[in-house]
Amino acid sequence: MRQYMIRRLLQIIPTLIGISIIVFAISAMVPGDYITAQNNPNMSKEKAAQLRQIYGLDKPVVERYFVWAGNMLKGNLGDSLSHKQPVTKVMNNYVWNSFIIAFCTLVLSWLIAVFAGVFSAKFQYSLFDKIVTLLIFICMSLPSFFIGLLLIKLFALEFKMFPVGGMTTAGINAHGWAHIVDVAKHMFLPTLVLTMLSTGSLTRYFRTSMLEVIRQDYIRTARAKGLKERTVIFKHALRNALLPAITLLGFELPALFGGAIILERVFVWPGIGQVYLESINMRDYPFMLGFTIFIAVLTLLGNLLSDVLYGVADPRIRLK
Amino acid sequence: MRKRMSLLLVMMLLSFSVLAACGGSKTAEPATTGETVTEPAKPADETTPQPEPAKEATPAGSEGLYEAADMSLNPAPAANRKDTLIVGMTSPKGVFNPLYGETTYDKYVFDVIFDYFLQVKGDGTYENSLADSIDVSPDGLKYTFHLKPGVKYTDGSPVTVKDYAFALKVLHDASYDGPIDILSFKVKGGQDYHDGKAKDISGIKIIDDNTIEIEVTEPTAYTRDTLGTVPFIPEAYYGKGYKQGDLEYIKALHDKPLGSGPYILKSFTPGQEADLEANPNYFKGAPKIKNLIYKATTDETKLAMLQSGEIDMDHVTVNQDNVDELQGMGFLDVNIFPTNGYGYVAFNFKEKKFQDQKVRQALVYGLNRKEIVEGVYGKFADVINIPQSKVSWAYTNEGIEPYDFNMDTAKKLLDDAGWKVGADGIREKDGEKFKINFSATADNPVVDALLPIMTKNYKELGIDIAAETLDFNAIMDKKDKGDFDMFFAAWGLTPDPDSTVYITKGAQNDVGYSNKTVDEWSDKGKKELNFDKRKEDYKALYQELNKDLPAIFMYQRRDMWAINGRVNGLEITPYKDFIYSLYTAELE
Repeated sequence: MRQYMIRRLLQIIPTLIGISIIVFAISAMVPGDYITAQNNPNMSKEKAAQLRQIYGLDKPVVERYFVWAGNMLKGNLGDSLSHKQPVTKVMNNYVWNSFIIAFCTLVLSWLIAVFAGVFSAKFQYSLFDKIVTLLIFICMSLPSFFIGLLLIKLFALEFKMFPVGGMTTAGINAHGWAHIVDVAKHMFLPTLVLTMLSTGSLTRYFRTSMLEVIRQDYIRTARAKGLKERTVIFKHALRNALLPAITLLGFELPALFGGAIILERVFVWPGIGQVYLESINMRDYPFMLGFTIFIAVLTLLGNLLSDVLYGVADPRIRLK
Repeated sequence: MRKRMSLLLVMMLLSFSVLAACGGSKTAEPATTGETVTEPAKPADETTPQPEPAKEATPAGSEGLYEAADMSLNPAPAANRKDTLIVGMTSPKGVFNPLYGETTYDKYVFDVIFDYFLQVKGDGTYENSLADSIDVSPDGLKYTFHLKPGVKYTDGSPVTVKDYAFALKVLHDASYDGPIDILSFKVKGGQDYHDGKAKDISGIKIIDDNTIEIEVTEPTAYTRDTLGTVPFIPEAYYGKGYKQGDLEYIKALHDKPLGSGPYILKSFTPGQEADLEANPNYFKGAPKIKNLIYKATTDETKLAMLQSGEIDMDHVTVNQDNVDELQGMGFLDVNIFPTNGYGYVAFNFKEKKFQDQKVRQALVYGLNRKEIVEGVYGKFADVINIPQSKVSWAYTNEGIEPYDFNMDTAKKLLDDAGWKVGADGIREKDGEKFKINFSATADNPVVDALLPIMTKNYKELGIDIAAETLDFNAIMDKKDKGDFDMFFAAWGLTPDPDSTVYITKGAQNDVGYSNKTVDEWSDKGKKELNFDKRKEDYKALYQELNKDLPAIFMYQRRDMWAINGRVNGLEITPYKDFIYSLYTAELE
């Protein structure tokens, strides 16, 4: 097992080098840089040249790559050009806001999906199954900004139950419990929308794998020896039905930190998604590259993690 | 009138599509911070010239301040906020240093924290702020600024001209990477300091704590104002650790600003809000609103936040729907005013057919601009005939041809220019067919309205017109290479009419336009120190531009602020942002 882990970790290195080259090459090929993206009409040619020299944008692409990659090895992602702060600091400012929403969504949508999936499978083609299927397809097919705006209209403007957007109420400077309640109120609507969107596919996934499992012989055996139906479903069937889901869980890791661009705009949530998109528009390369690599590393780790967990959960494929 | 090429997206698109709107900071709101905003020069004590009411008949309800109708509708969260004003805007970056901030939103924050010798007035001219008086030598080369005595920073230390000199030093430093192009100010010895050849800037002479003399090598009509809008940053705070050629340390202070302005930054949460508190010792008198909060909003939610009372004011895209909705809420003052900028269609002057003045005039007469502009903006835009805002002091409509849509005039002009209708109905001259390939921006409402009308009009004129739709950056790329016939874009305007857009080889003249008369009047206007004479220069310039048509001038649209009716005393004009009158504003 340890050997396998080490081997997998070592494999990450060439993969990362490949990713960094591709990402850097794409960013270098896109027309424009931070100076042109600013569209400052008063920028004289001399001033632009001076800025490019300060930012090192006047050097050849290959040299820039090695400077950037070298700094990154030392843990230095550079300074964001538009925030004028270290990239790591900017990431730290925003990424946790994205994380709490993504984490709550993850927990909620998995809980709902597991239960909805299991019962839909258990009572296949029943009225319950049909209603669940209809509901999740509705949730999945509505565009997120539409549901978001609709919920704002209903819950924020008509019923005045929740604030329109943001993460805290401006100017209350709450601490401790009051602060948590305030944030919870603000994050309710965005979390609701994200959960609605992601629960759908998960439910279908669990329903299918559950359907497969409950037709298997060992389930019939379990029933035959007189076990309670609840034990059969939740202990014997569910455990096996959840195995493929471990792969999905691995993919959730980068999603936890990636941010949700559209919803962050709709609910003015101070997440990283908007900042990332803006860095692409503004050609803020240090931030754009730094964050892309960060997400790439998380994706690779997520993959590794799901492989390892798979082995832990399923003795059949456990590595010797 | 240094202008700004704004993204098309920027000029109008933000609320049209979520993704387009995601372009965050590219929203290029009018002024990039610290921009060398250039203003008309005039002796400090002279009465301010009022902008002449040179407006053409403006449709009712399309411009002006519309007061809230019924304050009883004010939602409780706003009505209960007695000492706090919450301003909604796109989240700032946290670069709260007037030398470095690049976005309008950072400027909204740092411009209430820092002070300048001069401050902009509603009509775009400048008045003394920290300056007691300013003396200009007759040749326009020496500027002596007298600082008001007794002003203090919010940490209690005195404001002196040394801080001003320090700001100039930072700007001239070789490692300075902010947006201000200080070398264009032509301060004597500035280049040497920048190149590291000198330890000090020879053109800066500190006479005493309250008097400083700046010498420049090249006088312009607006040097006084550009120098007067360099900020005061306390050297004791920002200069700790300064070594010539290394400004890295200063970045750590961006989110901890220290100035002498009306407000003090208390806290900043990136992506959420900036909280400010009134400076009780502000030299113009303590602000009446104790707390000022800038809260992040997006185009999608600003209307809802205004409605729920979560914010007190925000900048909203002008269109009939938004105006109706805001006025329908009843408790909001709606302030609609002309945007500092205009839309135009560019010609490629490298092509022979566009070099003929008659052809350009024909293309303007033969285009129904009114129909296009009304189609896009309804009553919230005017067709223009000169490249200047109608509220500028330099604006004129004397001797200006309105180019009302007239097919016959257009056809006659083309005939006169030698473009005769050929056998296939397309005009030709010397064997060349009149063909226009219009580079159209994708997803742009103006282009969408313009193309069908232009195609119909120009076909009737006997011009073969085709359009290719491209991404905006691709069009700008074609523009730089000179590989286009026509495209639509927009310029931003600055209060001073000096501009390099239409002068031969001007920094922003990217279409190859050249006209000796225009060059002459521009140069005169730039160097003329007498205000009235300067006005005449620009009148002549605009008359020539109107006749010669370096572009098809299209429209000037509107901007809008929606403000909760309980906020009183904010002065907002196309030139003066609300931030400059915040210290006198009150809450009901």
